Amino acid sequence: MRRWLWPSILLALLIAYPLLLSTPFQQRLGALVLLYAITASAWNIVGGYAGQVSVGHVVFFGCGAYAAMGAYTHFGLSPLVGIPAGIVLAVAIAALIGVPTLRLSGHYFSMATIAVAELVRLIVTNTPYLGAAVGLSGPTVPRNVFDLSFISALPYYYIFLAVLAITLAITWWMTNSRMGFYLRAIRDSERAARSLGAPASRTKLYAFMLSAGLTSVPGALYAVMFGFVDPESGLGILISVKILIMAALGGAGLLFGPLVGAAILVPLEEISNNWLGGSGAGLTFVLYGAIIVLIARFQPGGILTLVNRRWERRREPTTAPQQGAAHAP
Amino acid sequence: MSFVLVQVIAGGLLLGAVYALFSSGLTLVWGMMNIVNFAHGDFVMLGMYVAFMVFTLFGAGPLVGAPLATIILATLGVVVYFGLIRSIMKGPMLAQILGTFGLALLLRYSVFWWFGANFLSLPQNIVGGTYAVLGLRIEASRLLAGVVALLVTLGLHLLLTRTSLGSKMLAVAEDATAAQLMGIRPDTMQAIAWAIAAGATGLAGALIATFFYIVPTVGETLGIVAFVTVSLGGFGSVPGALVAGLLIGVIESLSAYLIGAVYKDIVVYALFLSFLWFRPQGLMGKS
Amino acid sequence: MAFKHVLKLLAAAVVMVACAGGASADDKVVKIGAVFPMTGGAASAGIHAKFALEVALDIVNNAHPELGDFPLAKNAGLAGLGGAKVEVSFADNQGSPATGQNQALRLITEEKVVALTGAYQSGITLTTSAIAEKYGIPYLNGESVAANLTERGFKWFFRVTPIASDFAKIYSEFLADMKATGAKTDSIALVHDNTEYGTSVAGTITQAFKDKGLNVALDVSYAVNATDVQSQVLQLKEKKPDVVIMISYTSDAILYAKTMEALDYKPPMLLADDAGYSDPSFIKAVGKSSQGVFNRSSWSVGAPGSTTAIIADLYKKKSGDEMDDTAARQMQGFFVLCEAIDRAGSTDPAKIQAALQKTDLKPNQLMMGYKGVKFDDKGQNVLASGVIIQLQDGENYVAVWPKANAEKAPVMPYKGWY
Repeated sequence: MRRWLWPSILLALLIAYPLLLSTPFQQRLGALVLLYAITASAWNIVGGYAGQVSVGHVVFFGCGAYAAMGAYTHFGLSPLVGIPAGIVLAVAIAALIGVPTLRLSGHYFSMATIAVAELVRLIVTNTPYLGAAVGLSGPTVPRNVFDLSFISALPYYYIFLAVLAITLAITWWMTNSRMGFYLRAIRDSERAARSLGAPASRTKLYAFMLSAGLTSVPGALYAVMFGFVDPESGLGILISVKILIMAALGGAGLLFGPLVGAAILVPLEEISNNWLGGSGAGLTFVLYGAIIVLIARFQPGGILTLVNRRWERRREPTTAPQQGAAHAP
Repeated sequence: MSFVLVQVIAGGLLLGAVYALFSSGLTLVWGMMNIVNFAHGDFVMLGMYVAFMVFTLFGAGPLVGAPLATIILATLGVVVYFGLIRSIMKGPMLAQILGTFGLALLLRYSVFWWFGANFLSLPQNIVGGTYAVLGLRIEASRLLAGVVALLVTLGLHLLLTRTSLGSKMLAVAEDATAAQLMGIRPDTMQAIAWAIAAGATGLAGALIATFFYIVPTVGETLGIVAFVTVSLGGFGSVPGALVAGLLIGVIESLSAYLIGAVYKDIVVYALFLSFLWFRPQGLMGKS
Repeated sequence: MAFKHVLKLLAAAVVMVACAGGASADDKVVKIGAVFPMTGGAASAGIHAKFALEVALDIVNNAHPELGDFPLAKNAGLAGLGGAKVEVSFADNQGSPATGQNQALRLITEEKVVALTGAYQSGITLTTSAIAEKYGIPYLNGESVAANLTERGFKWFFRVTPIASDFAKIYSEFLADMKATGAKTDSIALVHDNTEYGTSVAGTITQAFKDKGLNVALDVSYAVNATDVQSQVLQLKEKKPDVVIMISYTSDAILYAKTMEALDYKPPMLLADDAGYSDPSFIKAVGKSSQGVFNRSSWSVGAPGSTTAIIADLYKKKSGDEMDDTAARQMQGFFVLCEAIDRAGSTDPAKIQAALQKTDLKPNQLMMGYKGVKFDDKGQNVLASGVIIQLQDGENYVAVWPKANAEKAPVMPYKGWY
């Protein structure tokens, strides 16, 4: 069972991390990495595996966040109720816009996703029931354990780890299923896939809906951890771009790509902010931007593809590297 | 009442022309090289700062500032092309988003580091004041920007369709390998395309600075407008960007006046989406 | 799958995180954390806040006999702690509530600060103070105006600045006085953005005005960071209100000033709600086009040689800009915090909290024009107040109301750009 050796070690280390690096800030940073890893992994299903680059995924993230905070603010329920509610909402939106939007090719699809996300954000900003620009807050004083309002980041870390494991398990199951097979074919060449009988439109739609549902969960968790959501933090385009570049940096279309990307980018951003942020000279982002540019310049396929290519001997020939890494893990 | 409406539409057209002005460069590289440039708004921002520096150091207005911004940005465009774009072009769209997003942050915060976070401005009437034309109030600075927008659109269009340089650039965009076999060097053509686009964007920034505020983060707002304009017009179509820009400007102004300014972006995005859903290649894009 | 390599990469990331070590606490130094926007669209405010706090640090840590009896100025350091110096750790909230909270956590747990201040944007003050509340660290806010900040039942949150309901009261009294001197105030237009700042202040003003019988005839709400405001100005031009009240951040304020000039629109009375109109950038960019605009402020430079004038001078030397109301309020908040720590005679957060609750500063102990500083049980300063200032020459604001605090008489109508 050598196949399971390295994943087990990985899991063991992830479980041990907050116990070894145990200052509150390091634990919280770990929780944040996992949160982004979940979001980026959910995006990966449609952006990496299906090759449909959505730059508006934050709308699904926001579904979860607003559902969680809304459940508390308007109904006095535990924010956890927001998780299934958010999933339903996200999947519904994905189904609604998926059909006309997935027909669009490449960059038009990306622009349409941006438009959808911005549209929702603007509508929410002008809707008092959803908090308008002020946003919605969670419980300030936790009523019971289901409010998930902890001082320490440790419970969050393990909850997020569990959710990440589930998300990756679902992704892995999908890639080895028929849907995954169709998606790979579509990503390589949609026309060829259609001509061979793959139900392209339906497959893309299902991938989109699956991704949407999985993206709303970390949205709800985020709102719970920070106790707050507003249109900028829950529906802002920056989040869409961040999860996308995490997946891209780690390696889109690879199971662990988003995790690697998140593990690099989130600490990078936080730590450069720690060192440089207080000066007011903007150097945090000069450094952050420069590093991203360098990585993109020298490894456009993502860091993990570099690592993969070195390790693997030879696999079946795939199409040009334009499609990113062509192998499932 | 209807006279105010005419003023609103006139304002919308001028606004739209400005949108078209700073989007024409983007559609050029997007259509020709398939590059998603997340740093586009920051190129506009750089053009604005060049105009500001020209005024602060030499006391000169856009007559000097605009050409200088064009040249400086075109040069920067070449540097960026060889330094970054050429590598990420070979990669997937994700690599382009990653790379240009990083570039955007780098440019934005380098300017922030150098100039600080203060809002800067050129003197109010640096181009001339506001003229009363047939009872309408037309700002000279916006009119200049609008006229230049038309000229730039015309110029780029003629360049692409009537000159040999243009047909070479289009050949490379169509099929780089075939073009190479015909003796055209793709690298050179793409660098030229990128430089022209960057120059046009710098020009836009310098002109916009005559009536807008200047701050390092202005690229964020303008960038997304450019994206919508370019996709509505059809990626790669310079006339399309002009028409789309004008359309968006008028729709924005009218909805702001008739429905309320907080809703104008909602209207624009809703119409944009509906349009894309029915005509997936934009107004004038290739099918 | 290259798990080996996934592990290697993650290990590298972990090393990065492990190196994010903390600083140690030092008894001779009183460490305070300050979370402000140092990057992003509001960076101008954050950077000016930093300058303000640095000037305050200079005043507290060094002997400044020229400031007379101003609290903490005479001696070097905090007398109540044996001359201990105060140190501020600045952190960037990047305009994001999440980042603000993370940085606050870092300041509390790694830098071991004994108190926090910040964070400018109300939404970020919300999350940063929430974490301070969880950890039992006093949080002093000098400038965020959203009402809900003091409605959470928090015990560690203290706010020195006047809030929207205070401003509404000031405006209604000002307008009543102006009416008595002959100005028309029958129809009022509110122009505000759709951020939490713009909507909450506009809502509070509308409600308060209704109670006082003032008529808000027009509510022009717009999306923040506008690319164009021509339609809104045309609406105003058409409806011709007697008074226009602007509730905007700097970028939009500048755009409105430029557009009003371009469209030749001058309301008879233009009143601004601080924020953008107080930003030195605004004055530099379009001050000359906005002569006669009224503004609310709790800060005034005062006569030459006065305490406030000396502080303004120190600030100008440090930042290169004139002191504006927001920076002054932040500075005042910081002084209140230091005074409480001094009075507590300890760096124990609980003692500081107790001292803050007992704060009772008189007007002559303040740099701001408040009636005093005294916190109610929600943590709000009930003695916060303001005056109306006017940009009469396009370069400097002067206090014009109430009469007791006025340096010059108000000039009507609004002059604009002549």
